Amino acid sequence: MKLNEFFRALTICLAVVLVFGAAIYGLGLHTDKIISDREAALSAGKEELYSKENAALSTLTSVNEFINKIYKLEDGGYEVVSATTNTYSGGELAISVTVDAEGKISGITVESYPDTPAFNIFEKDPNYIETYKGKDSALADVGVVSGSTISSTAFKTLVADSLEALTSNGLIGAGVKSDEQIFEELIPEKAHGFAKLSPITAEGNITLGWKAGNDTGFALVIKNGDAGYLALVNAMGVCKVYDNTGADVTAGQSTVCDEAKAYAAKSQKSYDDAHQKKLEKLMEGASDISFIKADTFANIVSAATFKVGEESYNAFHLRPNGYDIMDVYVVIDASGAIAKLDVKTMIFEEEYYFDAASTNLTTAEQRSAYKNSFAGLTVDTFTGEDMIIAKATMSTKAVNQAVKDAFEAFETLGGGEVNE
Amino acid sequence: MNKRTHLLRGVPGLLLVLGAGFVMASSNNLKAALGMGAAVIAALVLSSIVISALHKIIPQRGKLPCYVLIITGFVSLICMLMEAYFPEIANSLGVHLAALSVSAVIYRDADEIAGKSGELYAIETAVVTGLFFTVIMAVCALIREFFGSGAFFGNKLAFMKDYTVGTLAGAFGGYLVLAIVLAVIQKFSKNKSYEEEE
Repeated sequence: MKLNEFFRALTICLAVVLVFGAAIYGLGLHTDKIISDREAALSAGKEELYSKENAALSTLTSVNEFINKIYKLEDGGYEVVSATTNTYSGGELAISVTVDAEGKISGITVESYPDTPAFNIFEKDPNYIETYKGKDSALADVGVVSGSTISSTAFKTLVADSLEALTSNGLIGAGVKSDEQIFEELIPEKAHGFAKLSPITAEGNITLGWKAGNDTGFALVIKNGDAGYLALVNAMGVCKVYDNTGADVTAGQSTVCDEAKAYAAKSQKSYDDAHQKKLEKLMEGASDISFIKADTFANIVSAATFKVGEESYNAFHLRPNGYDIMDVYVVIDASGAIAKLDVKTMIFEEEYYFDAASTNLTTAEQRSAYKNSFAGLTVDTFTGEDMIIAKATMSTKAVNQAVKDAFEAFETLGGGEVNE
Repeated sequence: MNKRTHLLRGVPGLLLVLGAGFVMASSNNLKAALGMGAAVIAALVLSSIVISALHKIIPQRGKLPCYVLIITGFVSLICMLMEAYFPEIANSLGVHLAALSVSAVIYRDADEIAGKSGELYAIETAVVTGLFFTVIMAVCALIREFFGSGAFFGNKLAFMKDYTVGTLAGAFGGYLVLAIVLAVIQKFSKNKSYEEEE
């Protein structure tokens, strides 16, 4: 071999070594972690069945985005590691749920949870995790923590997701939910505006029920023959009935509806008078104010139509739950654009981490500018994203929800009827 | 000899009996056989692409070390991926997976085909070679796993419980089954090969 051929071959060999060396090093950074995680799990008596990083290679298919790992334990049970950012602070709540061979929760370990003490689940209820022990996937009688509703709901959802990952893949049997539990879990889905629910006393065929703390309506479990139904009555007296599969059976359950409406009528607080006074103050020259029934189970406590001159408007009084219950008034013109928005209590200064320097809601002028910024928005132009204000996120998110609910009610008003 | 005959003559683990050790080692169950097959196909295709692209600039007498380095590099990457994502198969293949880097199956393809032809023909040959190698291993694995272990794809078959031949699952069984498969293939392919060569 000539000298230049020798050096050419040597150069190519060195280049190949360098390229593959770099590739092996780079790939090693990724694979070493996977291998070391697996070995650590094995040494702890766990066999990895699922890893989010290698989800495509797992034989478990029904696993949602919040589940990071699933291990099989030596005793026949399972461990599910999951995480969510649906907490109050938006920080990551990571937990590890262990389940025994019979599908009952044997332990829950919190790996990370950033909420400050004022909103911390475990500061509010130190025994909250204990309420999960021994429960199957139905999570019967497990509630959320008052004062930390958002984070404890995120916690409960995460535990439910963990158990569902095991049941839906046939690793454990699914728990059976009672009708009462099914109905209670249906309420947020069918009536998202019913906030701060408190139980009511059973009477007649009403076996169980809740009153919305923001006066948006009632959720009642009513017996009719052998079957139970969930009857929802909103603040305007509109009723909807659902069976235990979540199907709308209002048309065939008029007696259930009548009983629910009768119960609600004697306990429902009316906001119509206060709404009328507010409208007259808010919209100069408002006349022909008529209250209507909006067929929606959102945050609305009163809905009205009125005129200013020749122009027609719809008005909604909503009571969303921000840091606390707020009163929001939304007026929408005939074209579907917001004509006016007002909020009775914008900031609960004494309870917030209120930082005047970093919040542009400090002065009355700033708050007025915030409210006026909604004017002209329609269902197509309102996204709500740029309406969230730092340090007042809960209040501004609640206002956004109220606006969405008002638009939804406005669109469904074709089915609304004028009060007799 | 046309291109097709060239391909068929070169099927490893068949006419040239290249890679018999790999077939023996990797064919005691179907999962391992398919895993080894996938590794061989990947190593063959990737190294064929690189070698066919570089063969004109590599001096004749420097080819052996260059080819070995390229093949070893790809086999190392494949081993790492299999150990991370398919640990069960990687464990069952053991050292035979890493030993692919010095396999005559891959080196023959690199030297005879990729080192003398363009990328497309090299890839085509690599895929055909790898697929045939995988099919032979899978057939051997199917026979050995079914009759030797009374199982299919890792699942024990209850009705085979009393009818297994343990020897077939061992090394001797590997060679025996490979020999039988080779004999059957030779029987059906010999005449045709002669006809094509004539």
